[in-house]
Amino acid sequence: MIPRIREFLLRLHRTLRPDHSADDELRFHLEMAEAAARRRGESLRDARLRAGSVAQASEALHDQRTLAWLRDFFQDTRYGIRLLARSPLFAVAAIGSLALGIGANTAIFSLIDAVMLRVMPVHQPERLLEFAKHSGQYGRGNFSHPLYQHFRRELRSFDGLLARASLGRREVSFGGEPELVNVEVVSSNYYAVLGITAFAGRTFDPDLDQHPAALAVLSHAFWQHRFAADPAVIGRTLRLNRTVFTVAGVGPPEFHGVVPGEAPDITFPLAFDGEVRGGDTWVPYESRGWLSVIGRISPGQSISHAQTEVSSIYAGILAAEAAHYPKELHRRQILSQRMLLQPAANGLDTLRERFSEPLRILMGIVALVLLIACANLANLLLGRASTRRREIAVRLAMGAGRGRVIRQLFAEGLLLSTAGGALGLLLACWSANALITVMSNGGQRIALEIRPDLRVLTFAAAVSVAACLLFSLAPAFEATRRALQPALAEARGSTRWRLGRVLISIQVAISIVLLIGAGLFGRTLYRLYSLETGFDRSSVLVFSLDTRHASLRGPALRDRVLQDLRSLPGVAAASVATSPVGLAGWDGSIRVEGYTPAPNEDDRVQFNAAAPDYFATLRTPVLLGREFNDRDTPTSLKVVVINDAFARRYFRDHSPLGKWVNIAGQPDRREIVGVVKDVRLRSSREGALPTLYLALTQAGSGAAGAFVVRGGIPEVIVHSALKRIDPNLRATDLRTLEEHLSRGVLQERIMGTLSAFFGALSLLLVSLGIYGVVAFQVARRRKEIGIRIALGARPRQVVAMILAESSVPVAFGVTAGIAGAAALTRVTQKMLYGVTPTDPITFTAACAILITLAFAAAWFPSRIAARLSPVDTLRCE
Amino acid sequence: MPNTAKADVLQGTLDLMILQTLSTLGPLHGYAIAERLEQVSKGALQLNMGTLYPGLLRLEQRGFIRAQWNITENNRRARFYSITTAGTRQLAAEKAEWTRMASIMQSVLSGESQ
Repeated sequence: MIPRIREFLLRLHRTLRPDHSADDELRFHLEMAEAAARRRGESLRDARLRAGSVAQASEALHDQRTLAWLRDFFQDTRYGIRLLARSPLFAVAAIGSLALGIGANTAIFSLIDAVMLRVMPVHQPERLLEFAKHSGQYGRGNFSHPLYQHFRRELRSFDGLLARASLGRREVSFGGEPELVNVEVVSSNYYAVLGITAFAGRTFDPDLDQHPAALAVLSHAFWQHRFAADPAVIGRTLRLNRTVFTVAGVGPPEFHGVVPGEAPDITFPLAFDGEVRGGDTWVPYESRGWLSVIGRISPGQSISHAQTEVSSIYAGILAAEAAHYPKELHRRQILSQRMLLQPAANGLDTLRERFSEPLRILMGIVALVLLIACANLANLLLGRASTRRREIAVRLAMGAGRGRVIRQLFAEGLLLSTAGGALGLLLACWSANALITVMSNGGQRIALEIRPDLRVLTFAAAVSVAACLLFSLAPAFEATRRALQPALAEARGSTRWRLGRVLISIQVAISIVLLIGAGLFGRTLYRLYSLETGFDRSSVLVFSLDTRHASLRGPALRDRVLQDLRSLPGVAAASVATSPVGLAGWDGSIRVEGYTPAPNEDDRVQFNAAAPDYFATLRTPVLLGREFNDRDTPTSLKVVVINDAFARRYFRDHSPLGKWVNIAGQPDRREIVGVVKDVRLRSSREGALPTLYLALTQAGSGAAGAFVVRGGIPEVIVHSALKRIDPNLRATDLRTLEEHLSRGVLQERIMGTLSAFFGALSLLLVSLGIYGVVAFQVARRRKEIGIRIALGARPRQVVAMILAESSVPVAFGVTAGIAGAAALTRVTQKMLYGVTPTDPITFTAACAILITLAFAAAWFPSRIAARLSPVDTLRCE
Repeated sequence: MPNTAKADVLQGTLDLMILQTLSTLGPLHGYAIAERLEQVSKGALQLNMGTLYPGLLRLEQRGFIRAQWNITENNRRARFYSITTAGTRQLAAEKAEWTRMASIMQSVLSGESQ
C-alpha cells in the first residue's frame, strides 16, 4: 500500500508543479538543431528560426498544462454534480455528516479563536504585558490602587502602566429611563498605554489624574446600537447614581476592552470608582485588591529584564509588608507571593484560564468525530466505487490515465467536502453562539464576538480539504486499481471488504475513546451532583439587598425584612448570613482553649456570621448542641457554632460543646454552643474547611449579605414584600439556590453535556457505518448466500455467519479503542472528580454500549440475508 | 508550399504522426521526432518547438505516450518519449479511421474532378 501511495503522490506532484525541466528539453532541442545545421553547413540563423524560440514554446507548453488542468477540473466538477444529483440520498447523508463534523470543529475553533487567539486591535500588542499576582494559597489576586501606583512610580523598563476594573452592570440614565450597561473604570492613561485613539470625540487624557473630570467614553459597539452612531452624543451627559458625567468620546471600532468576553459599554475614570459604585472609593485602600494591571514594555527591553525589575520591586514591597507580622508562618506566606509578567496581546486571561483546558479537550473530541465521519464517508465512497467499477473500467479502457480518474474521484470528494464545509460554517456560527450562552450560564452574557474571520475561514477550508483527502484517497485508489483487475476480484476476500473492515475498526476505536471520555465527564458531573453538600437546595431562594436608597439601615432593616419574609404564606423559614451558602466570608486566626497547636501550625479558620434559624432554613443538620436563636443578642453571652471539620480538627473525640474560642484581635472569648454538618459546594473538590459561625447580632461588622428563604414561592413575591417595606429597597441577584450553585459546576456541565452529545453522535455514525458495510456485503453476496440456503443453511445460521464476520472488525476496534482511551484520558485527569481516568466501570459500559449497537447494526442486514429466497437470488444474475 | 504545411499541421494528424514514429522507432527525444518527420516528409514538415512540444505534452496527458529523462548516445541528457499500450491501441484505431477517411476523400475528390 505504502509504495503505491508514494507513487501516486509523486505523480500528483508531477502533474501540478510548474515544470522547469521543460526548458531544459527545449534548449536541448535548439542545440541539436544548431549542431545539425553546422554539420550540414547551413545557416545557424535559419535553423534557429525553423526551431522557434524557447520562450514562446515554453509558454505554449505552460498553457497546455494549465488549460488541460482547468478544463479537467471543470469537467470533473460538472460530472461530479451530475453524479451526486443522481443519488440524492447519498449526497444528503455525505454532506450532512461532513457538515456536522466540520461545523463542530469550526465552532470550537472559533471559540478558541475568540478566547485565546484573537489579538487586540491596539498599537503593537506584543509589547503589552499583564501583571499577574500569584499568591500560593489564594491563587490569582488583583492589585490595590496603592500597589499599582507604587509600580507605576518605580518601574523603569515600561513606557506606561494601566489599571482597570470592571464594575459590572449599572443603571445609567441618558436623560430618560435608566438602563443597565456594563461599566468599567480605567486609569486615565488607559487609552494612551494601549495606543488607541477615539473614533469620535476624545478619550481620557493622561493628565486627568491631576485634574479629575467626570468624563465617560462609550464603546464603539454601544454607540452604534444605543445611539445609532449619532455623533451628537458627544458632549451629552449621563447620570450614574448621583453623579453627572459628560460623554467625551467614542472608542475605536473592533476594540472590546482588554478582557475577552467582558466588552464594557462605558468606561469612566478610575478616580470616580466610588461614584460609579454608588459607595465609597476604593482608591486609597491598600487592603482592597480590585484592579488588573497591564504594562507597555519600552521598545528594545527584554521581557526577562522587565521581569527581574518587577520581581525585585515586588520583593521589596512584600518584605515591608511581612515585617508587620509577628508569626513566621504568615511572613512566609506573604513572601511566597509572586508577580509574573505574561503576554497580554490577546487581552487578560480570565476567560482563557477558565475555558482553555475544556476548549482544548473539546477540540480533540470534535476532531475525532470528524475522523469518524470521514471514515464513514470513505466507506460509502468505497461502496459506490465498486458499483461504479464498470464505468471506471470503461473510462480506463478508453484511454483515460489512472491519475486522471483518481483526480475525477477527488473532484467529487472535494465537491462533497466543500458543500459540507459551507454548511458546517453556518452551523458553526449558530452553535458557537449557543455555546456561549451555555458558558454564560444564565448570568451576564459573555460578550464574545464570534465572527468568521480570516483565521476561522482558513481553518474551515483546511479542515474541509483535509477531510476530502482523508475520505477520498483510499476509495479513489481502490476503485482504479480494482478496475484493472479481472472480474474474479469479486471473490470474498476482496480488498474492498478488507479496507471496509479496517475503516469499521478505526471508527469503532475512535467511538470507544469518545464514549469513555463522555462517561468519565458524565460520572464526574454525577459525583459532583450527588456530593453530600450538607444542605437541601430544593425550593430555596437566595438574594442580597440593595439598600443604597432605603431609609432603614443595618440590623433594624435586617430584622424587618426577615420578619416580613417569614410571615409570607408559603414561606417555611427565612434567614440571612454574611456570605452566600457554602462560601466563607473571611478567614482569620483563632485560638482554641485547651488545644496546643504544633509549631508553625496554620491557626486560621474560615468565618461566617449567621442569623437565627439559618441552618434550619438550609436544612443543614445540627449534629450537637443548638444553632443561633433570638436569645443570642449583642449583650448576651458571646456564642459560636462550628462545623464538623472544625470539631474534627480541634476536638477529635471530645465534645466541643461548652469549650471556648478566642478570635485574634478580639477581647471576648466565645463559647461553642453547637456543631453543624459541613456545608460545601460541589465546585470545591477538597473537603470542607474548618469554619466558625458567629451570631450575626454579635459579629460587629457582620453585614446581612445573603438572604435565604425556604418555600416554593415565586420570586415576584419577594420583590413585592420588599417594596412594601420601602419602595426604594431592592433585591439583587435574586435566584433559586439551585441556579446559584450550578454556576460552580459550569465547566463540568459543559464537558458532560457536550462530550455526551458528541459520544452519541459518534455512536450514530458508527452504527450507520456498520449497517452500510454489512448491507453492502449482503447485497454483493446474494448469490453465495442463496446457494447456502438452497443447500440447507438455516436462516439462523446465515445470521450467525454474518454476525460472526462483522464481529471481527468490531473486536479489533474495541481493543484498539480501549488502548487508545487508556492513553488519552490522562489529559482529562484535572477535570475529573471522584473517578479515575481508567475507571473500569466507564470502560466496560462504553464497550458494552458500542458492542450492542454494533450487533444491532449488523443484525438488520443479516436478517435480510436470512430471508433471501434462493430461487430469486440465483435467477437474478 | 512547405511553410503552410508546417503551420497547418492538423492537431489530430500530428498526434497520429508522432504515435506512428514512436511505434516504429521506439523511444525518441523531441528533436529526433522532429528530424524524423522532416526526413520522412522530405522537408515538407518542419515542426517548430511551439507546435511539437505542446503536442507531445497533450499526448502524455492523455496517457498515449510517456516521457523519461535519459542519456543520448552523445552522452547528453534528454527526454525520451515512448508509446504506451493505450497509445498503441489509439494508433491502431486512428490509423484505421484515417485510411477510411482518406479513401472516402479519395473517392469524393476523384468523383468531383470527373
